[in-house]
Amino acid sequence: MVKVGFYQGCCFQGQDAHMFETMKEMFKRIDVDVVLLEETTCCGGNTIDEENRKLSYAINARNIALAEKEGLDMLVSCNTCYMVIAKAKRALDTNKKLRDEINELLKEEGLEYKGTSKIYHLLDFFRDVVGYEKIKQAVKRPLKGWKVAAYYGCHVLYPKEIAVDNSDNPSSLQEILKALGAEVIDDYEGKDACCGYHSFFTDKSMTLKKLNRILGGVKKVGADIVATPCPLCFKSFDIYQTNMENPPRVPSSFLPEIMAYAFGIDKDKSGLSHHLIKVEKE
Amino acid sequence: METAVLQVFRYDPEKDQAPYYKEYEVPVEGTLLNALLYIKDNLDPTLAFRAFCRSEVCGSCSMKVNGKTKLACKTPMKELVETWKGKPLRIEPLNHMKVIKDLVVDIDKPIEKMKTLIPWLVPDPRVVPTDPMHESIIYPEEMEAYKDQIHCMLCFSCYSACEAVADNERYRGPFAFSKAYRFQVDRRDIETAKEKRIRYAISGGLWSCVQCQKCLYVCPKGVKPAEDIQNLRGQAVKKGFTDKPGAKKLKHFVDWIYATGQINRLYLPEEVYGNKEAREKLTKAYTEMGVEVWEVPKPTKGLMKFRDIYLEILSKEDKALDLDYSHVRKIDKMVSDIFKADICTIVDKAHEEGRSSRGLISKLKGLLGGQ
Ligand code: SF4
Ligand code: SF4
Ligand code: FES
Repeated sequence: MVKVGFYQGCCFQGQDAHMFETMKEMFKRIDVDVVLLEETTCCGGNTIDEENRKLSYAINARNIALAEKEGLDMLVSCNTCYMVIAKAKRALDTNKKLRDEINELLKEEGLEYKGTSKIYHLLDFFRDVVGYEKIKQAVKRPLKGWKVAAYYGCHVLYPKEIAVDNSDNPSSLQEILKALGAEVIDDYEGKDACCGYHSFFTDKSMTLKKLNRILGGVKKVGADIVATPCPLCFKSFDIYQTNMENPPRVPSSFLPEIMAYAFGIDKDKSGLSHHLIKVEKE
Repeated sequence: METAVLQVFRYDPEKDQAPYYKEYEVPVEGTLLNALLYIKDNLDPTLAFRAFCRSEVCGSCSMKVNGKTKLACKTPMKELVETWKGKPLRIEPLNHMKVIKDLVVDIDKPIEKMKTLIPWLVPDPRVVPTDPMHESIIYPEEMEAYKDQIHCMLCFSCYSACEAVADNERYRGPFAFSKAYRFQVDRRDIETAKEKRIRYAISGGLWSCVQCQKCLYVCPKGVKPAEDIQNLRGQAVKKGFTDKPGAKKLKHFVDWIYATGQINRLYLPEEVYGNKEAREKLTKAYTEMGVEVWEVPKPTKGLMKFRDIYLEILSKEDKALDLDYSHVRKIDKMVSDIFKADICTIVDKAHEEGRSSRGLISKLKGLLGGQ
């Protein structure tokens, strides 16, 4: 059993608390114990950086230090949280002055950022820690006949310093989906476009244009569903899609949901039946 | 000798009806630029592309390889062959600019767009001596603030890869904002110019950047436009340009994270757009799905100490007053009205109530006698 600290961000609590339970159950099937790091806070969503970068670094030094205190590596299952926390880690690891200054403040909580915990995103965690073979063995309900479009999202591929895969031609998501027994489609119009999640509040028309490009592309190649390892891209696909004038009504899945389903967890518990755009495929 | 196939975009608007691709077999040796020069010298002298310095300085050899923007003279052929696992390499001109011929594009438009952001120094006479015989000194510490931005060589890689340029005609482009930011942090530049740049940046799409980070990824010079854009947004708010949704979103983040350790996605549309309906709709949808609705996030354990750290950083950066304390008090009141207890008690209780957070709100309400 591998033990890893789970960073919940905003996507696995509140209305989405059930998502964490799905994750936990799904991870159990591949011998991973995900320990919720309860005292962590929001990573700042790459927005706090607009106010002050040092504040963003401090918040995330504290988040990472909480995993270090437990002696655990940290698993971050949101692309944006991952990017923000991994960038903070880089800054802290390469700038002693910054680290010392922030550690001085963390002392108050009895915390210290040491740089001992590794930060994982779902994709590299599945590839490097769990292994594709193990995923394959856990499959109870192969996704036979499912045409699944692979969509990575931006913040696991860019910038290069924090990328978890080859930024130009990544393969981990395809490998995971293949292990689930799905037919993977990784070449379609819009596969590299941004999902538009972060511009929904600042420039909504941009979000809708991007959804049109990506989901239109997915539809054109005849995929049944689009799967993404980012809960924000998923929200953009499932929730914001309903804001489109003529929504193509393409179903989507956050990667752990479709994995849970393939591992034999029932559809309701996997989360797949709670989407606004119904996942009809069985 | 190992070879690779390049499928090169060919188009001469004066002669060709439509663009087409021509295949060339080239040695896997040196850089992509070497391969193009090989074509020109040995296979096809009609191929047009721009290149000059061959050493990542002039910024003229930027193009796309299988859709990804690359600087030809910085990109080893070996790396391309490895990345694309032997697949043919499709070489195309940059996005969002008119093709003049083959791989050569017209860069006038992004240049014109950049100029609207005043990418030059407007000297402050109190700092910069008007007498040209007098030195205008810049100290190394000052240079720190813009040491990366000054290396931009106008290669337009970021412009080509930019997600905001793709879907917003007006968007000035990553490099243009970096050029502007460079003068925003220059002590010699006059305040009135800084104010103007912010205004022009806003009308040029400052809040439209989606923060995809592609500009950071493609820049051959280590410029970080996305981060400069964040800094410019911060400056805009500080200068009082607070009416845009983006500015309100930032305020939501700053206040809520301080107050609870989390943002409040349920209230975000309301605080950004005054859109109450969105919350009501979401609440209804969740209730119908049998999902518990959280009006406020679960306050993080250790919240009070977290607040101390948060405030201390802001104070150190001379930004303590950016927190809207009346908003924070409102959030506190919201939390205590819901739970009928003060925030400290709630933080303690929330933690005692175990590790899963499902159903936590009703549990807490029950325990503390809230609604
Ligand atoms: S981060 Fe912003 S400026 Fe940079 S490429 Fe993406 S949208 Fe364009
Ligand atoms: S910022 Fe970088 S990628 Fe963009 S034009 Fe300048 S040098 Fe090229
Ligand atoms: S030829 Fe000058 S940058 Fe490539």
